[in-house]
Amino acid sequence: MKKGILPLLMIGLFYSDSLFMAFFPENAFQGTYIPVPRFFLMGLLFMAAFFNRNSAIKYGFLFGFLFDMFYTGLLGAYMFFLPLIVFMSSKLTKWLHNTLPVFLIIVLFDLVALEMLIYGLNVLVQRTEFSFEEFAYVRLLPTLILNALFYIVFSIPLRKAFLKIKSIFD
Amino acid sequence: MPQLFTNKRLIILLGSIIILVAMIGFSLRDRDNITWPEKFVKDVTGFGQNIVSKPADAVESFFEDVRRLRNTYEENEKLRTHLQKLAQLESDVARLKKDNAELRKVLEKQKSLADYEPVQATVIARNPDRWYELITIDQGESNGIEPDMAVLTSDGLVGKVKSTSKFTSTVQLLSAHDSQNRVSAVIQGTSAVHGLIEGYDKEKKMLQMTKIPSDAKVKKGQAVTTSGLGGVFPKGLIIGKVMELVPDEFGLTQTALVKPAATFYDLEHVMVSKREMTKVLPEEENRQQVLIEEEGL
Repeated sequence: MKKGILPLLMIGLFYSDSLFMAFFPENAFQGTYIPVPRFFLMGLLFMAAFFNRNSAIKYGFLFGFLFDMFYTGLLGAYMFFLPLIVFMSSKLTKWLHNTLPVFLIIVLFDLVALEMLIYGLNVLVQRTEFSFEEFAYVRLLPTLILNALFYIVFSIPLRKAFLKIKSIFD
Repeated sequence: MPQLFTNKRLIILLGSIIILVAMIGFSLRDRDNITWPEKFVKDVTGFGQNIVSKPADAVESFFEDVRRLRNTYEENEKLRTHLQKLAQLESDVARLKKDNAELRKVLEKQKSLADYEPVQATVIARNPDRWYELITIDQGESNGIEPDMAVLTSDGLVGKVKSTSKFTSTVQLLSAHDSQNRVSAVIQGTSAVHGLIEGYDKEKKMLQMTKIPSDAKVKKGQAVTTSGLGGVFPKGLIIGKVMELVPDEFGLTQTALVKPAATFYDLEHVMVSKREMTKVLPEEENRQQVLIEEEGL
């Protein structure tokens, strides 16, 4: 019964992205910057680092699929990229020591990778007219700042939650 | 050094790249509506989204109310002056409506392109990755919503329905970068000037209205509305005001920059307009018939 906490937590994180968009005034900074909430991805990375990599990949696949269908309509993008990012990040955490400040750098690196992949895909299918510099200033930097703030506030509770879930599953 | 990609992983990677390309190709196809598995997934996800977003909406609107309470007095003064004009306007509208109905009866032309039935909807989500300017609303096929219907707020047109499922629909805003996102529009002046709303200038925050004849005289500040000639949108929905007129690259037509009447940010409640008059294209199953008849001519 207690094992149900994991899917519930992930579902909560999945909706937290759009919930943040509901509260965040989109016209902040006169609309010049577009920070993108990536809280679900962050949850996935915590899951991979502190719980279990393979189940994180499965969750990434499943929720990426939902994300594609419900929000973007461009099937396959998140479904494929989220597991890829989780896999990449788990390789990095093996080489580096797993303390929270170091993990922040890994998370930021993963965020850059995901944003670049999605941007590249959008350029490829001609759904955007951002130049790369514009993309870097308007989207990438604010996204990194927003998610770094989220990390600073929620990294300790998230790590605790996943360690606890791990002890439930073991 | 351990091998990064074992054989099994390499096969998985290559296989999923193929699937990725196939799925993207599939979703980019020019299609009328999404397939039923997508609809099903959307309904299930939308159900959860509804549960999450309704309380969030309530909290947000509470704070909004508190903020509004502070300028109530000034607003009240302003509204009182409007109110005096309103009584006159209301009686005029009632009289004109009656006239219009009577004259239509005389002409035996009951329906007009301007008639539409609004369906109220609440925005339950905005695409969090913010690439395609899509919002999701809580009304779907069960309320008679179909792809390509016009979506408006009380200020004016904001977008059109992109895809529908049973209980939710996805709306593409006018500010989206999509070459298929066109709206047939008309500039209202002494004589109507037709054009197409096509594209959005992100820096100036204005819509581009193209294909305006080069000899058309358009003044700054003239109102732009939908023309109803595109087939699905009703006539007379407000889009915005003309701000600037520039000749296009060949000098054959002009492009007007239109300041949108509605904002595309922080939408909460929208209306979907069901046009009452018949559409230009016949129903799917009858289309083949029309093509054959045209060939015969």
